[in-house]
Amino acid sequence: MASHLEIVPSSEWRKKLHDRGGAPVTRCFQCATCCSVCKLAPEEQPFPRRQMLWSQWGLSDRMASDPGLWLCHQCNDCTTHCPRDARPGDILQAARSLAVERLAVPGFLGKLVGNAKSTWPILLGIPFLFWVAALYAVNGLTIPESPLVYDRLVPHWLIYAVFFSVTGFILITAGAGAIKFWNQIGRDKPRQGSFIGSLIPVLMDIAFHGRFGKCDTAKSRKWGHFALLWGFVLAAVASAFIIVAMYILMEELPLPFWHPFKIIGNVAAVFLVVGGFMVLQNRLRQDKPAGNATAYDNFFLSVVLMVVITGVLTEVGRYLMHPELASWIYILHLTSVLSLFVTFPFSKFAHLIYRTLAMVHERMTIKS
Amino acid sequence: MDKVGLFLCTGCEIGAAINTENIEELAKERGAKFFANHPCLCSEEGINLIHNAVENDGLNGLCIAACSHREKTEEFRVNPLKISMERVCLREQVAWTHKPNDEDTQMLAEDLLKMGLARIAKNELPAASQETIDRTVLVVGAGLAGLQAARAAAGMGHPVVLVEKQAKLGGYLNRVKTLVPEKPPYDSPHPNNLADIVAEVEDHKTIKIFKGSKIKSIQGQPGQFDVVVQTASGEENFKAGAVIQATGAKPYDADKLSHLGYGKSPRVITSHELEDLMSQGGLKTPLPGRVVFIQCAGSRDEKHLRYCSGECCATTLKQVATLHASHPQVECAVMYRDFRAPGQLEHFYASVQEKTGCMFTRGEVESVETLDGDKLRIQMQNSLLGEQVSLEADMVVLATGMVPVSADGEAIRELQDARVRINKNESATQVEEAKKIEAKNIHHEGTEILNLHYRQGPDMPVLSYSFPDSHYICFPYETRRTGIYAAGTLRAPMDAAQASEDGWGAAMKAVQCIEANTHGMAVHPRAGDTSIASFFLQRCTQCKRCTEECPFGTLNEDKKGTPEYFPLRCRRCGICLGACPERIISFPEYSVDSVASMIKAIEVPEEDEEKPRMIALLCENDAIPALDQAAGRRMQWNPWIRIIPVRCLGAVNTVWIADSLSRGIDGVILIGCKSGDDYQCHYIRGSELAKTRMTNVQETLDRLTLESERVQVHELSHNEFHRIPELLDAFAETIEQVGPNPYKGF
Repeated sequence: MASHLEIVPSSEWRKKLHDRGGAPVTRCFQCATCCSVCKLAPEEQPFPRRQMLWSQWGLSDRMASDPGLWLCHQCNDCTTHCPRDARPGDILQAARSLAVERLAVPGFLGKLVGNAKSTWPILLGIPFLFWVAALYAVNGLTIPESPLVYDRLVPHWLIYAVFFSVTGFILITAGAGAIKFWNQIGRDKPRQGSFIGSLIPVLMDIAFHGRFGKCDTAKSRKWGHFALLWGFVLAAVASAFIIVAMYILMEELPLPFWHPFKIIGNVAAVFLVVGGFMVLQNRLRQDKPAGNATAYDNFFLSVVLMVVITGVLTEVGRYLMHPELASWIYILHLTSVLSLFVTFPFSKFAHLIYRTLAMVHERMTIKS
Repeated sequence: MDKVGLFLCTGCEIGAAINTENIEELAKERGAKFFANHPCLCSEEGINLIHNAVENDGLNGLCIAACSHREKTEEFRVNPLKISMERVCLREQVAWTHKPNDEDTQMLAEDLLKMGLARIAKNELPAASQETIDRTVLVVGAGLAGLQAARAAAGMGHPVVLVEKQAKLGGYLNRVKTLVPEKPPYDSPHPNNLADIVAEVEDHKTIKIFKGSKIKSIQGQPGQFDVVVQTASGEENFKAGAVIQATGAKPYDADKLSHLGYGKSPRVITSHELEDLMSQGGLKTPLPGRVVFIQCAGSRDEKHLRYCSGECCATTLKQVATLHASHPQVECAVMYRDFRAPGQLEHFYASVQEKTGCMFTRGEVESVETLDGDKLRIQMQNSLLGEQVSLEADMVVLATGMVPVSADGEAIRELQDARVRINKNESATQVEEAKKIEAKNIHHEGTEILNLHYRQGPDMPVLSYSFPDSHYICFPYETRRTGIYAAGTLRAPMDAAQASEDGWGAAMKAVQCIEANTHGMAVHPRAGDTSIASFFLQRCTQCKRCTEECPFGTLNEDKKGTPEYFPLRCRRCGICLGACPERIISFPEYSVDSVASMIKAIEVPEEDEEKPRMIALLCENDAIPALDQAAGRRMQWNPWIRIIPVRCLGAVNTVWIADSLSRGIDGVILIGCKSGDDYQCHYIRGSELAKTRMTNVQETLDRLTLESERVQVHELSHNEFHRIPELLDAFAETIEQVGPNPYKGF
């Protein structure tokens, strides 16, 4: 009877799921209220009920190769309405973290970030030690005199060297994970149409947070996430423009306050601060619109907030702080940015890739 | 009755719908000694009017022409031993449902009055009961239900005799350590306090206990049962007023479940065997890694038990909770078809899911196979996602259902009758047929429990699943033997808490029966009826139709086959009256003659008047209440139909049909309760018998070249009031199409 699907309710995977906040899955009695209230679930293959059942059955393969897992935006409408308090939103979030770990290339990094609960000192400590060591090697960690010019503390070539290599690392590792995921979710369902043709409307949806806006319970989360997303996009744009300013327009740094590129950078900072504050507020709220956060979730949010706070303080510190303090804040900023970038394919940040791909896959498999 | 008064109420729109001027004349013409009308007869003034007339004019019969007999029963209550009363329904059947001041409406009202007066003229007063009633309650079976029944009956001041087959009281629950939760917060097993109840019953002064004993025989009737108990040391004789049978249930035979691995591997056990293991100190080592519970093992299954036993799901929850508490390292999984944890047990279900981490998954288990190395593989289909799944286990627990420990009295009697015929050896074909019946019923031999001396068999008749309950929802504890009540798992599958409650319920029914008998009254459903049937035995032809067709085994037979009537077994349904071809059975207020005289009282217009006349015989239990509801909603129907309420469709004698048709009535419609497996007939077989009898009538009509459509039988339930006008109008239309009765005017 090879046709029978073997179920393993006590699998290692399920134990891990419990550790990652998925313990309430045992309470589920499969009433499907979750599917009925979910505004994002596709009609043909609704979630999260089947994912709850696969979780109870301990089917890790199914869960890792399931696009539905990623189409979920963790609105938590299901958690709000679940008559058994089985918290489907949390279960899917936990399952996503395990899926990211499973898709990770190289695998050990997936495990390292996945276990952020115990490994977070490494994940932040190594980038910090790296910067300290690098600066020591480059200029003996000399703190420059006032007025502070950061280039004197960390030369631009070093920044380029580090972050261009990190970008390469991300492209390779995240790319490998993305390809693995894309192949797995496409195994059972043939796709139609062009990838780009589907990607564009998906990106439009992401840009305006169309899906996120459908949520009831997590309505407050939409704008925080929106501000953070656009903050990061504008920060990236500002960074690119600064390179243009430096090497094409040959302007001197720091740029004056009213310089258009500077304004873009500051607008990005405002978005990031506001978004970060809103996300933090939602995370701390008693009614938990974002579900029960785990160490994995908190690690990612902490690094993002650290990037934002140290970033703003770096800009302000240049004028207001003692150069030594400002310099160390800058080092912490670089530490957090490096940590955020290196862990990108393995942390919650990876949802950027997998959710986008799942949405593209969904568009390419919808019957017209 | 010879001194009848007609009291006409003109309230509730009756006065506005009919002309009451010449009613007094009509009443006097039809033999009434007194007439009065009142705009509100049920008012104090109206009631006084009736009482004064009874006192001053010496009336012994009251004909109350007002609302339905189901209304104002308290106001119009009389002593039935002194005064006979008939209710003529002018409100529901005339004023509310027909065109006011119409010629047809007037004729309808006058006909109903004539019918009422004709009927009451034939009524007789019932004689007061002279029976001596014993107050003892006999409880058969000392499981939880029986113990509670004994305790309850004794608590209500009745002497109790408790008979138990085993040497120890307590029944099945002696095997069980804990029960499902019975108290808030309903999250952990409840201690089994059986020992306390046993101790209380054993210490009770008015409860006499026979352990290791059986019922040898029960003779007679409720209130006067002669009981013989066979004990280890001899026989005990005593009288009892009522009997409670609480002989419990046994687990379904798991040997029939080999497809689920039972008998193939010692690692497949039943939930009852697990219960034994757990009350004897837990699982044996080496402990299983994973225990899988399979629900509905042999239940809700065409090949096995077709019903749900109701308690297995909760028991499994209890076993998972207990197992987890004693062996937390053992993983549990439950495979179910529908998980049934009703009421507060939902809290238990949720708590077990959360605390034990046990997986509960839905589907149909197809097979349990034994693998190498003591492993078992369970294959399941129709899982929630439609897939076939399989799961490995080290131990499988089959949640098997329960089978009542009942005896099929009718089957035993069939067997006995067949043997009598074989011994008589009258003809080869008869012997051959009897042998077939013997072979079919041979497995019932020796299963007797109550050993009743009843014509219809030594035990109670059972429903299709062997439960002796007489009606599945409306009347709990009732059986088809008056004064004998079923309680606990014998009555229906149930858990301990319900069985406990059942014991109390059955005890109350038993006490109620004894009380009713003491007052010379019938029990449910004609509770309070003081009349009993009389048999004019000189004309009896020993056809045995009454003894066969009585749903309650009221009649025994003497050697010649003449019926022997036991009035205290009787429910007064009148099915015997409907059955008797010699028309020798009658009740003081319901007889072949009284209904026939009602039919005779109907004015049948000449054919050229083009006013057909039809009779509707409506069952009092469902059809009349439905009609009253339809009337309350002011529905209208054909005014040419005359309604006669009957005790049951089974209480319709076919001679009434013949009388009607020979008098020129154009058609007769019968409306009764639903028959079939889920029958709603209050007397079990009434509508079914009526259908058979009327089919015979229709065949006769065909032979007489009278159209068979003139006689129709319909069934409806209490809530289908909207069908009353539909049925009546459709019938009237059919009769109009068929044309006038050719016997009209003869």
